[in-house]
Amino acid sequence: MILNEINMAGNFWHSSHYQQWLLDKQDLARERRHDLKVLSEEEYQKIMIFFANFIQSLGEQLKLRQQVIATATVYFKRFYARNSLKCIDPWLMAPTCVFLSSKVEEFGVISNSRLISTCQQVVKNRYSHAYPQEYPYRINVVLECEFYLLEMLDCCLVIYHPYRPLTEYFAEINCEDTLYALAWRIVNDSLPCLHIACVIQQKDLKQWLAELNVDMDKILEISRQILSLYELWKMYDEKQDIQGLHYKKTANLHSLSKMSSEHSDGGFISARRIDSKAKLTRENIAKSDFVISTIDQHRLCYI
Amino acid sequence: MDYEYKVKTAQERAKVEDLFDFEGCKVGRGTYGHVYKAKRKVSTDGREYALKQIEGTGISMSACREIALLRELKHPNVINLNKVFLSHTDRKVWLLFDFAEHDLWHIIKFHRSAKANKKPVDVPRNMVKSLLYQILDGIHYLHANWVLHRDLKPANILVMGEGIERGRVKIADMGFARLFNSPLKPLADLDPVVVTFWYRAPELLLGARHYTKAIDIWAIGCIFAELLTYEPIFHCRQEDIKTSNPYHHDQLDRIFNVMGFPQEKDWEDIRKMPEHPTLTKDFKRSNYVNCTLVKYMEKHKVKPDSKQFHLLQKLLTMDPTKRITSEQAMKDPYFMEEPLPSQDVFEGKSIPYPKREFLTNEDDDAADTGASKAGTGHSSSNQPTAKRVRVMPPATTTSTSMTTSDYQHMHNVQGGNQQGMVFTSGNMAQTSTSTTYGQSRF
Repeated sequence: MILNEINMAGNFWHSSHYQQWLLDKQDLARERRHDLKVLSEEEYQKIMIFFANFIQSLGEQLKLRQQVIATATVYFKRFYARNSLKCIDPWLMAPTCVFLSSKVEEFGVISNSRLISTCQQVVKNRYSHAYPQEYPYRINVVLECEFYLLEMLDCCLVIYHPYRPLTEYFAEINCEDTLYALAWRIVNDSLPCLHIACVIQQKDLKQWLAELNVDMDKILEISRQILSLYELWKMYDEKQDIQGLHYKKTANLHSLSKMSSEHSDGGFISARRIDSKAKLTRENIAKSDFVISTIDQHRLCYI
Repeated sequence: MDYEYKVKTAQERAKVEDLFDFEGCKVGRGTYGHVYKAKRKVSTDGREYALKQIEGTGISMSACREIALLRELKHPNVINLNKVFLSHTDRKVWLLFDFAEHDLWHIIKFHRSAKANKKPVDVPRNMVKSLLYQILDGIHYLHANWVLHRDLKPANILVMGEGIERGRVKIADMGFARLFNSPLKPLADLDPVVVTFWYRAPELLLGARHYTKAIDIWAIGCIFAELLTYEPIFHCRQEDIKTSNPYHHDQLDRIFNVMGFPQEKDWEDIRKMPEHPTLTKDFKRSNYVNCTLVKYMEKHKVKPDSKQFHLLQKLLTMDPTKRITSEQAMKDPYFMEEPLPSQDVFEGKSIPYPKREFLTNEDDDAADTGASKAGTGHSSSNQPTAKRVRVMPPATTTSTSMTTSDYQHMHNVQGGNQQGMVFTSGNMAQTSTSTTYGQSRF
């Protein structure tokens, strides 16, 4: 029964995700221009990666499903796609996104005290290099922040993630598990990551992709973006880079000032990063969903 | 949080009380919050809205779900969320809907009283068919979009009054609805008791762990029967309704009294139901040998060879895997046969049903009398509290002697503190030699 219901691509076309939240490069650049007076694009991306990781850590500590974490991450990106980093401290916004996402995805409400104690633990145990003090926010501030978040999201809470389509494609192409696992890890884009996984494992899927009738150029473009993100991660490992970013932030973005005062942990990024869900830029997520739904739409036609 | 940002957003934020007039216009009150009939302060068309102030402060999980789902849903037969107002100062959440003047609970009640008073109402000959078709249309949309309603009942089926959408069905109360593809948790874990018992499918009463589309379809079958007869087909006394145990002996007994006890061949998987052992322990097939839906509906003057009966039978199929889907139901011969269903269920005729009444503060204190929900379809406490009236319970098909019973409204607590119509009948098995009704003030 589930399979019949999954291919509701038509729903994506009418969703707020598609109608309001596929932001192109121009949109993002416009909203981001204030932050980009202070930060370079690359530095901005690194901050986003950093906080996506923070959300991931919170989620893992709270034993949330990956889908809940992914939704929280998208909320976070959407908020800052519309607002400057200085409007609300991302250290506050990150747990707020997790809090809201857990309710939307019906994980069940995380208790107030558990949310805050988890923040304190995670910051202390894993992010003390970036945030040496005790985690400062109390639940009342998170609840206040939640109103701002919901408002800025324009109450668009349902997010389309690529996990399910990915699973379906694999059911269809009947591939070995290693490829699936690899693609899942590069999961930002169902199709492109399938493509990348295939390239890595030297498997030819051209025929199948051709039958899906998707725009191969788009897939390649998104593949390139994912690869460039991996490139960025490599550079993000460099201590030098983070230090430089830190100085800019302290100078100009007061709310971020505590973020990376002693960032010296080069290792914490690389290994875990690829393993946990790869977080993508907003553009990539938007495009991948676009591609996915193109495919879904098409599949609907010949089912 | 940046101070300038706070000031700036506060200036830009639209406030509900600045945009709408609704003071003294409360039309509903319940555990879900308050519902007001509202008009825009600056309005050219005089359009009416339902403003729902969600109970409590902040963003509860059910508020969150309601907002998340309604934000995505758009269909002529599903209630439309126009806007959400977030009041930061008092942390209240307001939802703005189109105002729906009527609902099936009030409509059925109206006809029931009219029948009791022997003042029959002139019903457009096609109204039931149009209502059913639009309900199916809306549910088909919800199901196609991975949303299960889970609490379908007459009170949640709204009907638009005068205006551009005159006579159009709006399915409401999605507070409990959820996306059901690859559920993160079995649904039973989240809301142990959700559907009002009368509209609850047999598999739920036997402990089914997952809600399905078929469960909504059963409820639609119940509503269809009620539209045809003005009686809740599976009404049953409900006292211990607080229980989180899905198994409900009296409700099952009532269903078997109408439908007959399911044959193994008709519902093979019944043996796999969690409460099947209890069922075999508590029930004897021989008690229901003479019960059939044909007999029950015949007593209510619905012919077993009619197309409407055939469709009803497909909706009220005991085995959920054999129950018709909304899509199939919409293609049923019943809807192909003249007269065809119409967009305005009132078919241009004048609407005999009263408008929703405003609640005073006293009503408010004493759980209101009648009018509620308006645009939101929340069922909780829209039904009046204990007003004892003498009426006959609906007929069932066993052969014991007929008894009259008190027909009363009871404040029952179930899921979200819902008040419903409750029959307090000492004897559940009654025949229907007589169907005279006392003054029924629902």
